[in-house]
Amino acid sequence: MSASLQALTANDLLTGEVVFRSMEGWTPRFADAQLFSDPLDARAELDLAVLETVRLADPYLIDVALTDGLPSPTSFRERIRALGPTVREDLGPQTEGGPLVDALRHSHAAARSSGRLGLIRKR
Amino acid sequence: MYSYDTIDAAMLADRNAEFRDQVARRLSGDMSEAQFKPLRLMNGLYLQLHSYMLRVAIPYGSLNPSQLRALAHVARRWDKGYGHFTTRQNLQFHWTRLSDAPDILDHLATVGLHAIQTSGNCIRNTTSDPFAGAAADEADDARIWCEAIRQWSSFHPEFTYLPRKFKIAVTASATDRAAVRAHDIGLVLHRNDEGRLGFEVIVGGGLGRTPFIGKTIRDHLPAEHLLSYLTAILRIYNLEGRRDNLYKARIKILVDSLGAAAFAEKVEAEWVAMDRARIDLPDLELARIRASFGLIAHKSDPGGRAAFEADKASDRAFSRFVRNNVSAHKHPDYAIVSVSLKTIGDTPGDASADQMDVVADLGEAYGHGDIRVTHAQNLVLPHISLRDVRAVYEKLSAAGLATPNIDLASDIIACPGLDYCALANARAIPISQDIARRFADPDRAEQVGELKIKISGCINACGHHHLGHIGILGVDKKGEEFFQFTLGGSGAEDASVGQALGPAVPADKVADTVDRLAAAYLDLRAPGERFLDTVRRLGVAPFKAAAYADADPA
Repeated sequence: MSASLQALTANDLLTGEVVFRSMEGWTPRFADAQLFSDPLDARAELDLAVLETVRLADPYLIDVALTDGLPSPTSFRERIRALGPTVREDLGPQTEGGPLVDALRHSHAAARSSGRLGLIRKR
Repeated sequence: MYSYDTIDAAMLADRNAEFRDQVARRLSGDMSEAQFKPLRLMNGLYLQLHSYMLRVAIPYGSLNPSQLRALAHVARRWDKGYGHFTTRQNLQFHWTRLSDAPDILDHLATVGLHAIQTSGNCIRNTTSDPFAGAAADEADDARIWCEAIRQWSSFHPEFTYLPRKFKIAVTASATDRAAVRAHDIGLVLHRNDEGRLGFEVIVGGGLGRTPFIGKTIRDHLPAEHLLSYLTAILRIYNLEGRRDNLYKARIKILVDSLGAAAFAEKVEAEWVAMDRARIDLPDLELARIRASFGLIAHKSDPGGRAAFEADKASDRAFSRFVRNNVSAHKHPDYAIVSVSLKTIGDTPGDASADQMDVVADLGEAYGHGDIRVTHAQNLVLPHISLRDVRAVYEKLSAAGLATPNIDLASDIIACPGLDYCALANARAIPISQDIARRFADPDRAEQVGELKIKISGCINACGHHHLGHIGILGVDKKGEEFFQFTLGGSGAEDASVGQALGPAVPADKVADTVDRLAAAYLDLRAPGERFLDTVRRLGVAPFKAAAYADADPA
């Protein structure tokens, strides 16, 4: 695993679907997510995303690690968001298949989700 | 069945128009997410992991065929071809687009369905016995009283901003199929020695991080005073329930901290002082509601009964279905048929649009237009003549809806868990699938007998794990899914909260653990004992020994 990276995610306001910040804008493909190695850059992108109120709901940063050169969110929850339901492999972004989807499915990185913790309200 | 009148229809149309405008203002940027979110939630629309989720209220779990077809249509046209029936007898669509929500709600309104009060700190959809109106042992049709509660609680101005959400369940049978003792208010309708209808009023039940079995504060409230008494309870709760701490805001905490007797005294004082006649249901309205449910003209059919018995004797698979999925009806020539949404390996409670249409068609052709949702995430056709049970069985079988497993180990309650839910810490569905596969052999499942397994993906307990004969709770241990077990819970008339078994196990060990618990039960049981009875007789110790026999020391 590499040094810590971050990606910026949100749900699309109109459709509710999971989106990631890419170099070109917002994409449902985690494969295209822009990875920030500098927390200040990531924070600056988040601050901009918060202003995109007619496009996004709940933008937040997630931790990402590289395994064998492929990025994967470190939290299980964020991997499920990037894939779709694990019990319905015919639904969500995972239907695209390919090496990155496989990498997400087989990643064992274990960290608590860094996003929307207000909802989860841990002790 | 009760049909909405023109006032109801106009109210729904107004509400939907209002929400359509709110959605438009949100999408145009005239409203912020912070402003919009409470409005969206008041219309049952949550933002979940992958999408918005629309929770549609199914009043007291009762549907007519047109309503079920409308749900199927929504699943097909606006969602991904399926819906998820919940432990609150509601239906959730997991893939709703915000921009479609107003059209979906308009479509549902054409059949009198909506998503109002399926979220927020208000009185939620009242749940009830899925056998109401058909059960042999009921004192009355519980739906009549649920409908009265629905009318009273809909848009109730005093109770729209309670300290926390509020759930009421009603049964009119001694056999509790509605988990009434685990609700904020549970009502058991019965007749006293003089034959008068009245409610046992139970308050302060609930699950979540602080589970309680409710306490009875009235043994026999005359039925005609139901609404004033509910008002008195809600009023005390609204005034004295805690608003400073989300985790202590439910009525169960208030009842526990005051003590049931002191809480009851406050309710009685409020009730005696209030103008009850203004609140209680007028006799005429009660009669109107009662009449609107209509009496089904059940026909005697000894020939049908004979044919049914002959089919049972000659067909083992049908006989197994009858043994597990068919219950006695109050009329000797009818049956209550449970439709299993627990096909081995599928998601508990999920039904495809095609399956919904099949059940709607069967309800129309054979079931007097009456379909129910159970809190165990199955469906019920409550009025099937014995002559037709075979035909219904065959059509259900063809649609994958006849798994003969009601109340057996593979009839598992599971919340959506981390596969869908923004609150979850762990997945519940794949765990339930693993366990169900262990009991896929119907002989083994029947050998083990009644075993209610309930799984929640977080402490909020939507999967009722505290009430499971085996309860399973998913937790996040340093980012990995682990599962805690409880044993000896029950949501039925013998309600109890399960006791912790021991250390949590990883996901891939859960089904093994359930297997060992079932095997231990088969070794330990006395004649006639269910799993639950054996646990209650012996305590958890022998089960703990069996469950962790080969476990690596942690």
